Amino acid sequence: MRRVFVKGLLTIFLMIFTLAVIFPFLWMIMLSFKDNASILANPYGLPTSPQWENFVKLFADPQIRFHRYIWNTVVVTLSAITLTVTLSSLGGYGFGRKRYAFRYREWIFGILLFSLMLPMQATYIPQFMLMSTYNLLNTRLALVLLYTAYQITVSTYLLKTYYSQLPEELEESARIDGAGDFTIFLRIMMPLTKPILTSVILLNFLHNWNELLLAITIVTDPALRTLPVAMMNFVGESASNYAMAAAAIVVGMIPILLLYILFADRFVKGLTAGAVKG
Amino acid sequence: MKRTEKKPWGMIFLFIGPVTLFYVAFIIYPLIQTVLNGFLEIYPGITGLRIQFVGLKNFKLLLEDEIFHKAVINTLIWATVGPALEMLVATFLALIVYFKVPWSSFYRVAWFSPMLVTGVIVGLIFKWVFNADWGLVNTLLRTIGLGALAINWLGNLHTPLWVVIVVHFWNTFGYSFVILLAGLSAVPEEVKESASLDGATRWTLCTKILLPIIFPVFSTTLMLSFLGKMRAFHVVWVLTEGGPMHASETVATYIQKRAFQWGTLDLGYPSAIAVVWFIVVIVGVHFIQQWVRKKVEQYA
Repeated sequence: MRRVFVKGLLTIFLMIFTLAVIFPFLWMIMLSFKDNASILANPYGLPTSPQWENFVKLFADPQIRFHRYIWNTVVVTLSAITLTVTLSSLGGYGFGRKRYAFRYREWIFGILLFSLMLPMQATYIPQFMLMSTYNLLNTRLALVLLYTAYQITVSTYLLKTYYSQLPEELEESARIDGAGDFTIFLRIMMPLTKPILTSVILLNFLHNWNELLLAITIVTDPALRTLPVAMMNFVGESASNYAMAAAAIVVGMIPILLLYILFADRFVKGLTAGAVKG
Repeated sequence: MKRTEKKPWGMIFLFIGPVTLFYVAFIIYPLIQTVLNGFLEIYPGITGLRIQFVGLKNFKLLLEDEIFHKAVINTLIWATVGPALEMLVATFLALIVYFKVPWSSFYRVAWFSPMLVTGVIVGLIFKWVFNADWGLVNTLLRTIGLGALAINWLGNLHTPLWVVIVVHFWNTFGYSFVILLAGLSAVPEEVKESASLDGATRWTLCTKILLPIIFPVFSTTLMLSFLGKMRAFHVVWVLTEGGPMHASETVATYIQKRAFQWGTLDLGYPSAIAVVWFIVVIVGVHFIQQWVRKKVEQYA
């Protein structure tokens, strides 16, 4: 009897907790399908007849044209991911395989890992000055370079761990067949890292898609704004138009939620791989 | 005959070179620059930057800067309360799912989902959740007859920091949760079985067996949570911008304000803050590591 009671209590508690966790999402989605008048009348009522208007306006209204910001974010995010994957695959292979060991390798890798502790605030002012010196303020390239800089550490770490666990024989037999180092890396070894590479890409996507601090510091030109900055400004400017703001928020969430639905396991693996092994 | 193979230096450079050079150029060089800038006054002038060496002046000013003190206290409160709350809840939730209570797989997805919506969106959503007039929190309080408690959460001098702590918790507890769950899932099934054969209750199984086994994972999670709070920026910035009257100012928001918002344009002073802060972070990490080492020796 007591057991049943405790179980029931626990279930109720978990249900309430879970509802509190997901309610903000549901509420935003609800708001985005209502018009402003009905939001002001009752912010918690279900939309009587779902309105797509807000979403249409978000893209069609010449004053808003939200897709510009989505495009900026897509360009920056994907370019940074490409650069990060290239650099950290090469690096992970070089740091991870026995063949390329040399005296100070672990030492260099240690310095690389050091930045996992580094708050962004400790580096971003000189990064701003650096970009200013090379006339890269207000360019997408600056964001691509800096996002890569912040993400190569964890990416290289994950790939290094993975590469170091691949068997030696794979390389050996290819070498006997006369393949060069770079061919072995590109044709044989790199394709084997696909699982961890997916996680690395997802991790990078999450970071780049959401980044704010550098985005507001390096880019001040409204035309080049990325999604987080645009959303912050848009919601600030249309302070009384809750319907539009909610629609913007929902649009901003969709890509990540889609990726999560498609790759839930990889997401979780990427986020936990470093912590559980390390 | 001893086979001496020549080191493939060309290849080593090809593989390790790019990432190392990139890292030095965009992280190490700026870090060194930050430390040096702490001793300078830097004003952007008409003919480029005007730079002046001022010795320890910036660091002395820090000692008298009351806003900085407020920011430090706030951040330290956050970096203590935040991780403690997160570890407590995340451990409990991870155990719940580990023991496969009904609906576990649904809970797992639901609890992890806020982690995907970082920073800006979280800030914007919770600005509405804590809205004084029609926000979710106050509406709920009024509905259950506690209307007296429905205050303007973000508009006074006492609660904004706590709102920030709670909102950031909502955003990140899922991360700690999945790491701990991954740690628990890696515990061999036999451990659980042999313990239950010995007649151990769930409580002793958790506290005496499972938690000591996953302690390394636990400490990593704690460390990540601590680091996360020490440098968190997005949520505070969108929710309160450190206000009102610096009630929720953190070191991260204060650096941003001094460097780019106040129009003082001096990049030396915020650099000095960053240097001090980086040292504090390293010391904090060191203390956590020491504590962990002691605990591990206890369990071993």
